[in-house]
Amino acid sequence: MFMKSRSRCSGSFLKTPVIACLVLFLTASLGARAELLIRITEGAGSAIPIAVVPFAESGSMPAGDKVGSIVQADLTMSGEFRPLEPSKMLSLPSERSEVYFRDWRMLGQRYVLVGQLTRNGDRIQARYELFDVNQEKRILGETAAVPASNLRSLGHHISDRVYEAITGAPGVFSTKLAYITVSGEGEQTRYRLQVSDVDGKRSKVRLESREPILSPAWSPDGKKLAYVSFETGKPVIFVHELATGERQKVADFPGLNSAPAWSTDGRSLLMTLSRDGNAEIYRMDLASRNLTRLTDHWAIDTEAAWDHADRGIYFTSDRSGGPQLYHMERPGAEPRRITFGSRYNARPRPSPTGDYVYYVHQRDSAFHIARTNLETGEETVITRTGSDESPSVAPNGRLLIYATRQNGEGVLTVVSADGGAAYSLPASEGEVREPAWGPVTR
Amino acid sequence: MKMSFSTKAFAMLLSAGLVAGCSSTGENMEEGAYGSDVAAIDQDGGSTVYGGADGSGVSASELTDDERRAAQEQAEQEALRDITTFYFDFDTSEIKPDARDVLVAHARYLADNPRQQVRLEGHADERGTKEYNLALGERRANAVQRFLIVNGASRGQIETVSYGEEKPAVRGSTESAWAQNRRVELVFQ
Amino acid sequence: MKGHKRDIVSTGKAPLKSPVAVSVGLHLLVFGIALAGWSWNTPPEPEPRSISARLISPEPRPTPVVEEQDEADKEQERKQAQAREQEEAERQRQAEEKARQEAERKAQEEARRREEERRQQEAQAKELAEKQAREREAARQKAEAEAKERERQKAEEERKRQEEAKRRAEEEKRRQEEQRKKEEAERQRREEEARKEAERKRLEAERRLREQQLEALADQARQEREAEARRQQEAAAARAREAQMQSESDKYQALIRERLKQAWYPPSSANENMTARLQITLLPTGELASVKLVGSSGNTAFDNSALSAVRSLNRYPIPDNRDTFERYFRQFMIEFNPQRLR
Repeated sequence: MFMKSRSRCSGSFLKTPVIACLVLFLTASLGARAELLIRITEGAGSAIPIAVVPFAESGSMPAGDKVGSIVQADLTMSGEFRPLEPSKMLSLPSERSEVYFRDWRMLGQRYVLVGQLTRNGDRIQARYELFDVNQEKRILGETAAVPASNLRSLGHHISDRVYEAITGAPGVFSTKLAYITVSGEGEQTRYRLQVSDVDGKRSKVRLESREPILSPAWSPDGKKLAYVSFETGKPVIFVHELATGERQKVADFPGLNSAPAWSTDGRSLLMTLSRDGNAEIYRMDLASRNLTRLTDHWAIDTEAAWDHADRGIYFTSDRSGGPQLYHMERPGAEPRRITFGSRYNARPRPSPTGDYVYYVHQRDSAFHIARTNLETGEETVITRTGSDESPSVAPNGRLLIYATRQNGEGVLTVVSADGGAAYSLPASEGEVREPAWGPVTR
Repeated sequence: MKMSFSTKAFAMLLSAGLVAGCSSTGENMEEGAYGSDVAAIDQDGGSTVYGGADGSGVSASELTDDERRAAQEQAEQEALRDITTFYFDFDTSEIKPDARDVLVAHARYLADNPRQQVRLEGHADERGTKEYNLALGERRANAVQRFLIVNGASRGQIETVSYGEEKPAVRGSTESAWAQNRRVELVFQ
Repeated sequence: MKGHKRDIVSTGKAPLKSPVAVSVGLHLLVFGIALAGWSWNTPPEPEPRSISARLISPEPRPTPVVEEQDEADKEQERKQAQAREQEEAERQRQAEEKARQEAERKAQEEARRREEERRQQEAQAKELAEKQAREREAARQKAEAEAKERERQKAEEERKRQEEAKRRAEEEKRRQEEQRKKEEAERQRREEEARKEAERKRLEAERRLREQQLEALADQARQEREAEARRQQEAAAARAREAQMQSESDKYQALIRERLKQAWYPPSSANENMTARLQITLLPTGELASVKLVGSSGNTAFDNSALSAVRSLNRYPIPDNRDTFERYFRQFMIEFNPQRLR
């Protein structure tokens, strides 16, 4: 009877539970029930603990900072790492066999970097390894060699490699900074254009003048600097080749010659000239020195910068009454205002990653660095200091350097691009201002 | 009448002193403003001293009224022209009302002395960005230049340059320092 | 006896020779008049005939017993009898006359009365009819008047009603117009206000946002120092939460999720499209037996961060109940996929 009714009602209505029962039976017998799935959608949100173990050394090493401390300082400056104080380390391994992961695990470290330096004539060879403590796995192992005099570069190189291996983003620790220092008073005032490592070390003076120097700008290949110099009694734009020290005067028109900005191909400069009566933005082809005027307004138009795609231009204009940021989709197109929330927004610096533009922003009576999300239009103030100027974005878009005042003195500060960690560069003599973050050069 | 003329002179000298003392350019005032240095009125005829410490007073036994008036005016104008710095409010290049007389005096002087050259140096306070301040300093210098030309000077006599925030007159991050740095300076060549 | 009646009524009846015939004839006469008078009106109760005048034929009198008497006596007796008969007849005649007269008078009276009655009745009837007619007329007129009045009133009411309705309609229209104008003004005013409010709120929100952001910046520095304490605190909070969880599995899932969150450092280049999937096998002690990357995110640094996080836990929180452990936590999947980035 039952069979009969079954064969009669053999439609899908009865089939599904039968099949389901079969499946369940099978999976149960295999021991693999429908698996539990746990989703993790956010992390700890804090800096990654890493142990940079002082490298073992064999042979004489140059005086000065150790590689380990250079790496430690670099990673700290990035805001993304929290290196362990060497004094807290339980052991100082220099190779894998000496690494007891349980020790590092106990210290709460996620990564351990170990290395060896060997002096070889006037070169130093390095061998370094990076370990993931929890996976007990090596994720980086390389060798490198540098002239002994260039040990700092080695340190920065290792920082770049470690940074990339862990974050996936390119490191900027081998880049350079350009900036201006001012010392002395009155007749003794001296302005200097200087270039240093990203940590402010090994700075070299490229130009010294009794008159102001402004707006250093790196060429995309890192070999030249454009800047504004008052050495002739008025602002003039120079392009200065770093390797040779040779420079050319590229703009010396009546009135202003200022705010130089390079195109990505290094062939042209945006600049601010007032030869036609008031400050306007021009583009100069460097080979031919041909000028194209890009703005045409009685207001001040200055501080131009190419946007990420190198198609359009950001600039400062006070055509609406006070300085605000504007964007031209193409050179010479109708500008569109992009800042509104404050009565003073100036000096746009778009991020190389194309997601934000950074600028000087007045809030109440203080001047901060702010950034606007180019997709959402959301504006965020990213500095806590209050007399901030000259923001310059790192080539990986994750860090920003700017000039501010500390105890009445001009200093440079690096912050992470979202305003998280801040790191003041050690002050050199005199005032420091107008930082420009150099490009990554491989 | 001698008396009334002297009284007039006395009054004009006083007011010139007031103008000099009340302009926003207080810092650049010469010591010993005129107001404190008026000579006594001599009613006997003979010598009368006009003006004060700069020694521009004319001392002569017999001068016509016109000549005296002209001398008087010249003294006033020279007094005004002692002021060579003009101040501005934040982020503007608007010339202040009490600077006008002084600038007119300078313009007239330039008009009268066509070979006289002057350089206008524009400045801004340290707040904000350097490049924008450079352009702002230039705009201030240009505003003064226009004013001078309108009032008689010729373009060829005037040179303008902007230093932006690079050459403050007063160091510091106070309202007072900033106010003194927002300026255009006339530098006669 | 033979009576003898004189006929004074001129009925034409020829007097008959015999007094009986005369009396019969008289009787017939009276009878006829009475009958005639009787047909005129509703006769009242007919007077019972005291006189039976229907004698048509005298009843044979019982023959007296003739006795043989003397003739003289008989004659006297006959004369006496005759005298008595004549007296009787006279008496009868007089009585009849009287009766007749009475009857006549009565009849006349009757007739008169009937006439009178009739007339009265007639008059009454007429009067009644007239009255009724008048009344009907009056009633009709009254009804007519009333009807007219009602009509008029109705018309009046109708007119009034229409006027009223018209007036009310106008008023309504006016009121609605006013209302609409008021609402329009109100709406514009509200719009204006809303716009101003929105503007003000937007500026306010911007300002608050910036304030909050600056506050957030200040907080973050402090947070990094307190990270360790916070982790322990959150572990304690997780234990507190534990006490309220319903299902053991959910409870431990949440615990594991929390621990892993604290242990995960997603690389800064991570984006929301990256997902690393790992299969975890635990020992009954909660320690990790094995980890396998079963779904790569395509980014090595990201995968490594997930593996590192999973391995950083010395012991996974698992339920005491062995069955629950076996079913859910002996082997399970973890997916790392950032949803909120720096």
